[in-house]
Amino acid sequence: MKLSIYLLKKILFAGEASLLNCKTSMGEITVLDNHEHFIGVLTAGAIKVIDDKKQEHFFDVKSGFLEVRQGNEVRCIIQ
Amino acid sequence: METVQNLKKRLKSIGNINKITKAMELVAATKMRKSQEIALASRPYAFAVMDLLANVSMLAKKDLPELLVKRKVNKVLFVLVASDKGLAGAFNSSVFKKFESFLKHNKEKYQDEKVFLAVGEKSNHYLLKKGLTVVKKFVQVGDFVTPEQVKPLSDFIVQGYLNNDWDKVIIFSTHFRSALKQESLTREVLPITFESLQETVKEIMPDKGKFAEIAKEQNISFIPNKEKLNEYLIEPSAKKVLEDLAYHLFFMQMYHLILEANASEHSARRMAMKTASDNAKDLGQALNLQYNKVRQGAITSQIIEIIAGSEALN
Repeated sequence: MKLSIYLLKKILFAGEASLLNCKTSMGEITVLDNHEHFIGVLTAGAIKVIDDKKQEHFFDVKSGFLEVRQGNEVRCIIQ
Repeated sequence: METVQNLKKRLKSIGNINKITKAMELVAATKMRKSQEIALASRPYAFAVMDLLANVSMLAKKDLPELLVKRKVNKVLFVLVASDKGLAGAFNSSVFKKFESFLKHNKEKYQDEKVFLAVGEKSNHYLLKKGLTVVKKFVQVGDFVTPEQVKPLSDFIVQGYLNNDWDKVIIFSTHFRSALKQESLTREVLPITFESLQETVKEIMPDKGKFAEIAKEQNISFIPNKEKLNEYLIEPSAKKVLEDLAYHLFFMQMYHLILEANASEHSARRMAMKTASDNAKDLGQALNLQYNKVRQGAITSQIIEIIAGSEALN
């Protein structure tokens, strides 16, 4: 899936990813390829991303939003 | 005619002024470039937030949070965004001029109670001088704005709005068109309306230059596809998401406004200093000419005296 993680000051991640794991206000969720369309509120914690090269990335989150869009596209807007 | 010594003194001081303004110009130019970079870096985020808001507000339908709802206006908050330091040409006065003409034109409309908020020392001074009550001031931002610095300002405005301290927020600030052109602008930021958001988006996208094309590529629009929207799963609820989003959006809008004012300040200062050093240069040239003439005149009169003296001896 195409994943982009936006921070106010810069783009943290943009590119292909196979897994996204994050904490939302309803609990921890993992987004894989072809996830259902989804909008959620992120809470404080860490985002874990595994990209297409099987590399792990971790990002710190205070608050933010997660949106799974049509076309296998995922967007995170975080602070 | 001025004496040679006097002219020399003046020449020297003008030379010093030239050096100082030149240095200030260079410093301002570097700062301007950096603050422009910061402003550009926040664009993708802004687009993503706006896009999300457009989607969610369609889903939430009538369940809008308070920040998005218009209500009866009893009190208006005016925010003046100016600089902390002077020597920036017409940067501050153009904002104040805009503010004054706005008040004059909307006299009937805003007879109700007004509250003022100052961003930057200069706007604080201006408001106090006019005898207006400043509810709070935000100063000492430094050369570059960080989100952490804008947070208290945005929180303060939102809190006041939610507590019914004011029902409308109007901001006077400067829009950065290019390094040579800045415009003062008036914007209603609260309650958040789609028109004002669209305006913000338009302004975030530059008119020309390499970033204008990026904006086109991203294809930002405010008309979400209704059929597709129904398939969304929203957690915990559309209202809650929208509430959070509205807050984030307002913060982002404020951040962007301040960033832009910051970039404008630096470029205004750069221009002012450029004109000042150009002037100093011209003045120095004119004085130098005068100095040479006076010096030459003195030499000529001395020679004449010597010749006259030797002639008299003969």
